[in-house]
Amino acid sequence: MELSGRRILVTGASSRIGRETTILLSLLGASVIVVGRNAEQLGITLLSLEGNLHHVYAFDLSNVDEIPRWMKDVTYAIGPLHGLVHSAGVQCTRPLRIMSSESLEELMRVNVTAAIFLAKGFRQKGVSVAGGSIVYLSSVMGLVGQSAQSAYSASKGALVTLTKSLALELSGENIRVNSVAPAMVRTEMSKKMLQLLTPEQIIQIEAMHPLGFGQPRDVANAIAFLLADTGKWITGTSLVVDGGYTSR
Amino acid sequence: MKKSEFYRELEEVLEADSGSISGDEVLADFDAWDSLAVLTFIAMVDEKFEVTLTASKLALVKTVTDLVALLGDKITV
Repeated sequence: MELSGRRILVTGASSRIGRETTILLSLLGASVIVVGRNAEQLGITLLSLEGNLHHVYAFDLSNVDEIPRWMKDVTYAIGPLHGLVHSAGVQCTRPLRIMSSESLEELMRVNVTAAIFLAKGFRQKGVSVAGGSIVYLSSVMGLVGQSAQSAYSASKGALVTLTKSLALELSGENIRVNSVAPAMVRTEMSKKMLQLLTPEQIIQIEAMHPLGFGQPRDVANAIAFLLADTGKWITGTSLVVDGGYTSR
Repeated sequence: MKKSEFYRELEEVLEADSGSISGDEVLADFDAWDSLAVLTFIAMVDEKFEVTLTASKLALVKTVTDLVALLGDKITV
């Protein structure tokens, strides 16, 4: 895989999968635009990147209406994008009996609405070059279900079908749209989720992954594959990276 | 939060009748105290108290009084 000279914007770059993705993209030669809410965490991500062609932007994606304008400003300053990775996301384990519309809407806003507005921003003239590639971070929870994950799985399932519709809508503009659907990867987000489970329940969940839990690099590899020319005939797909979780 | 208010929140989690919890109850006696109720309880505590409980800690809890103790000074008399 080769990404030399490509400019790629990565949201959620202060999270574990986002950070690993930015590191891999930089190793493959890309210039990475690192986006997240936490400036301090973004600085740490920046320090771990190969090369010095990278940029950091602190931006809160929940301001969805501002996304297209903000992307214009960013690319006006640094040049048009070749790729976009939306790895920012909210995870929320909530049984129905305690679900609130407020937490549901916050989750949908970052996981789904921001994904749509990032695509809206990306396709604008001057923001991306021909042959651009968008990759969303979905989840196996968007393909199969799990108790107490209804909001999260609804949002990740939305990304699977959003990917298909945008692939069709943007094919005429020479933009590919795909998503990656990982199962349980060892990250801060999954650590928080695993705290909700007893050691016995964690063993049970790991046993549902024939190849065990994944590493952030496993997901980053799939993202890079879809961004690079290795994925040039792939659009509208959700690449499942799950250690066999959904094979049952 | 007052202890009495906490009992009402717990009744919501357990879908028990209002006023049915007074402190000495054994959690295992409630049919509704299952793994989903544990997740609901953790989410409720996270929202109302901004305290993150772990399932491992909750697994050691036997009674409603133990739950109150787990939240320490977050619950007042």
